[in-house]
Amino acid sequence: MSQHSKWGAQRRPPKPPMLLGAPRGTRGAPRFTGALLTLLALVVPLAPTAQEAYPSRPITLVAPFPPGGVADLTARPVAAAMEKVLKNPVGVVNKTGAAGAVGMQYVATSKPDGYTLLLALSSISIIPEADKIFDRPPAFTVDQFAPIALISADPTILVVPADKPWKTAKDFIEDARKRPGQISYSSSGIYGTLHMAMELLSHAAGIKLRHIPMPGAGPALTAILGGHVDALASGPAVVLPHLKSGKLRALAGWGDKRVAALPDVPTFKELGYPDAEFYIWAGVFAPKGTPEPILAKLRDTLRVVVAEPEFKSAMDKLETPIAFKQGEEFQRFFDADARRLAAGVRKVGRVEDKK
Amino acid sequence: MLETLGNLGAGFSVALSPPILFYAFVGCVIGTLVGVLPGVGPLAGISLLLPATFGLDATRAIVMLAGIYYGAMYGGSTTSILMRIPGEAASVMTCIDGYAMARKGRAGAALAIAAVGSYVAGTVSIVGLMALAPPLATFALRFGPPEYTALYVLGLLVLAYMSSGSMVKSLAMAALGLLLGMVGIDQMTGYFRYAYGVVELGDGLGVVPVAVGLFGVAEILASAGQAAPPEVIKPRMRELLPTRREWRESGWPIARGTVLGFLIGILPGSAHIIASFVSYAVEKRWSRHPEQFGHGAVAGVAGPESANNSATSGAMVPMLALGVPSGPIPAVMLAAIMVHGVAPGPLLIQQQPQLFWGFIASMYVGNVMLLILNLPLVGLFVNILRVPYPYLYPAILIFATLGVYAVNNSVVDVWIMLVTGLLGWLLRKLDFETAPVVLGVVLAPLLELSLRQSLAMSDGHYGIFVQRPIAGTLLAAGAALVLLNLYSVVRRGRDWRAKLALAEKGEAQ
Amino acid sequence: MTTDRVAGIGLALFALIILEESWRLRLPLGTMAMPGPAYLPALLAGALVVSGVLIAVQGARAPRLGAVGWSEWRHAVAILAVCAFIALALERLGYRLTMSLACAFLLVGVERKSLVATLIFAVSIAVGTHYLFDTLLRVQLPRGAFGF
Repeated sequence: MSQHSKWGAQRRPPKPPMLLGAPRGTRGAPRFTGALLTLLALVVPLAPTAQEAYPSRPITLVAPFPPGGVADLTARPVAAAMEKVLKNPVGVVNKTGAAGAVGMQYVATSKPDGYTLLLALSSISIIPEADKIFDRPPAFTVDQFAPIALISADPTILVVPADKPWKTAKDFIEDARKRPGQISYSSSGIYGTLHMAMELLSHAAGIKLRHIPMPGAGPALTAILGGHVDALASGPAVVLPHLKSGKLRALAGWGDKRVAALPDVPTFKELGYPDAEFYIWAGVFAPKGTPEPILAKLRDTLRVVVAEPEFKSAMDKLETPIAFKQGEEFQRFFDADARRLAAGVRKVGRVEDKK
Repeated sequence: MLETLGNLGAGFSVALSPPILFYAFVGCVIGTLVGVLPGVGPLAGISLLLPATFGLDATRAIVMLAGIYYGAMYGGSTTSILMRIPGEAASVMTCIDGYAMARKGRAGAALAIAAVGSYVAGTVSIVGLMALAPPLATFALRFGPPEYTALYVLGLLVLAYMSSGSMVKSLAMAALGLLLGMVGIDQMTGYFRYAYGVVELGDGLGVVPVAVGLFGVAEILASAGQAAPPEVIKPRMRELLPTRREWRESGWPIARGTVLGFLIGILPGSAHIIASFVSYAVEKRWSRHPEQFGHGAVAGVAGPESANNSATSGAMVPMLALGVPSGPIPAVMLAAIMVHGVAPGPLLIQQQPQLFWGFIASMYVGNVMLLILNLPLVGLFVNILRVPYPYLYPAILIFATLGVYAVNNSVVDVWIMLVTGLLGWLLRKLDFETAPVVLGVVLAPLLELSLRQSLAMSDGHYGIFVQRPIAGTLLAAGAALVLLNLYSVVRRGRDWRAKLALAEKGEAQ
Repeated sequence: MTTDRVAGIGLALFALIILEESWRLRLPLGTMAMPGPAYLPALLAGALVVSGVLIAVQGARAPRLGAVGWSEWRHAVAILAVCAFIALALERLGYRLTMSLACAFLLVGVERKSLVATLIFAVSIAVGTHYLFDTLLRVQLPRGAFGF
């Protein structure tokens, strides 16, 4: 550091030798540094070692989406129930950004000691693929995670404004075939969950639609309510009130089975498009390399969590059915879903290249 | 009409019950604290307390969260006026004239005017919310991408009014701000623009680190090393409140700010920050002494602060009337209701009258509470200015860093604050204004996205902007403004030349 | 070398760098009907170049660069260095330690106040704000390797 006579505009009376303002060569600075280093050397080895009972520290469940969204609303009851079962604090942290990539990357690169977990949505399979087609080094890869359990899996449903002429999905698809690229739909963002759902349908039914990306699921819903777009693939919970009030009409669903709250809405599978299967699912992941005993404990914990009555009622209030899958079952579901989505993203390719 | 009053009466009986009063008060206090902390805005405060509301019933939860929301708008002006650090992004405009007033010894007056303006705006806009929620919400829904594009283009014109210096310099600053706003993921195509592998930049630089850096840190950089500390006239107790003249000067700006903020607030989207910017420009345009702006014009504090607060009530309109979140903050509040099993949607007002009217009534009560909280605190806050500057600025720096970090728990934001702080300091030295840069960072992603969305909707035809009535009207208004300005510039030029010609003739004779 | 000339040239250079980066990152330009990710940045960079050049050209009337008064640059550099330290150390050393060190450095090293007063002030600010925001408001400030 520069000599103290340069600091300040005026000459000052001599002061006792100070930390950094002192002229070079005094005994102050080296002594202090020595003391600091000694302190560090003593303290660092005292840092907690890994051989302790799990869990002994607060666990962080990272929700990579902003508060109020699906991931966040699912994460909080999960964390609360986990805390009860494990008798150990479990806190939710929102690490938002880049459609979830920031939070996911954070967990992928954190220590695999079981204290940092991720509540991810299906976009976890989409983001690395999207990175690949842009020739970017991926923010994270799917195999940086060890899946623990699936909590919920909502199929998306196709909704249109009530004043549109299409009464069934068949009408919609036929009209789309007659006028390729004329029917518009909104989504929560490019390569997002709502976009990929529509893309899967477009490829399965051989139609071409016009995509209007919006900055999130909320604006996507506002756009269709205002009549600015013709269609939307949405999670059932957010559109239920509008279906009930008659502003929107549901045509079909992307699920394996019909949505419980909408028994009259057929699935695309029934209508002859089995490839149009898409769920906005939420699952808990840990960084890969987390020791197996910890993973097993987390699996057991989550199994108890989804049976908890408080958790069940919380999810009921959100109108989100619990769809618990674990271990092998979850791995299979996850792999199949990831494959489907990766193929979908590759088919979409770079949007710019098509123009 | 009678029915509304009856409902309101029922609502007040709910709002004035002790538990609801308590939660509203807690929300207001937390909101004020959150607002005072630089950078951290109401969204952070609400998200943090969302889990705490799960144990409460729906009415208490939403009352507390709303208290945080508009409380933060009250608190945000405090650091803006005292330290030139925006308490949240929407308070950036208050930094300019508010801080100038503080330097002249009118800090107490500025704080008081901000508080009273916020109160008036908050209360009046709730009346609008109460009486006009459903029809306003339906109108707001008609704003689609083309309408937003027109609105943001008008916002760009606001940039022109914000500067007092040369036109070219403002243009350069606007372009710079807009360019900085383009960092991040391109929402239409998925490309990462200028992010260089830093995932945290995916959503852009973020208006909070940029605003705190350009205003707060730059201020510290410029003042800390001066031989004499920044000249701040310390007011006496008697001078704490605004003079009669200052009250008179703030009357119309408060009224205009209220209406303007409310109208902009009801539009779904992130337009709320723009409310204070637009109000500033309107006040400057309407003022008889536009040269005062930037040096302590009362209207420059009264207008934007009122616009802020009425925008928050406006934001609740689509949320309550339609169940549609008009921004991230109403989205969190909707989530809070949903978690308690109350289904938001167009039928909310009919199905849950207790919730709706209790909420409205508690907003009235909350505004009164905040006024009572804030006015006496003016004296306390002004005393912060008495702390010797060498002790004050490290504390301010720590607060600013804390606030910027806390928004996203991200160190990248601290780096952005650092770099924009350096940039802001350099710009000040070189005699450039920094407010247009902040507005540019806010507007750029919004304007670009809605423009490209509109073109996607119309398959590339620019005609969509004039074919749709609202968009066409807004653009016509903007064009009229530009033409008016050009006309007055030309006229002044002609007058000037005519005077010069007369003078020359006179000399020749 | 007036302020305006330096500023104008600086802005124009920045805009040119943006254009070069858009080219290097191969961001598609698109058309006027379908603007690509590089379209608006290119327009704005163009506007910035033009205004930067205009400012530089008209810059003769501005004050000279040295005349503006840069006496506070050492303080400014120190403050920026402290900010950089905070950014680097915040998550490694934890909030309270980082902020105490940063505040102490500014007060002792830069402002040359007494050591005792500095330590009291710095530690109380760091711990106080931590208590207020982390414990009371649950803002989640980082705890570093030492646990605080």
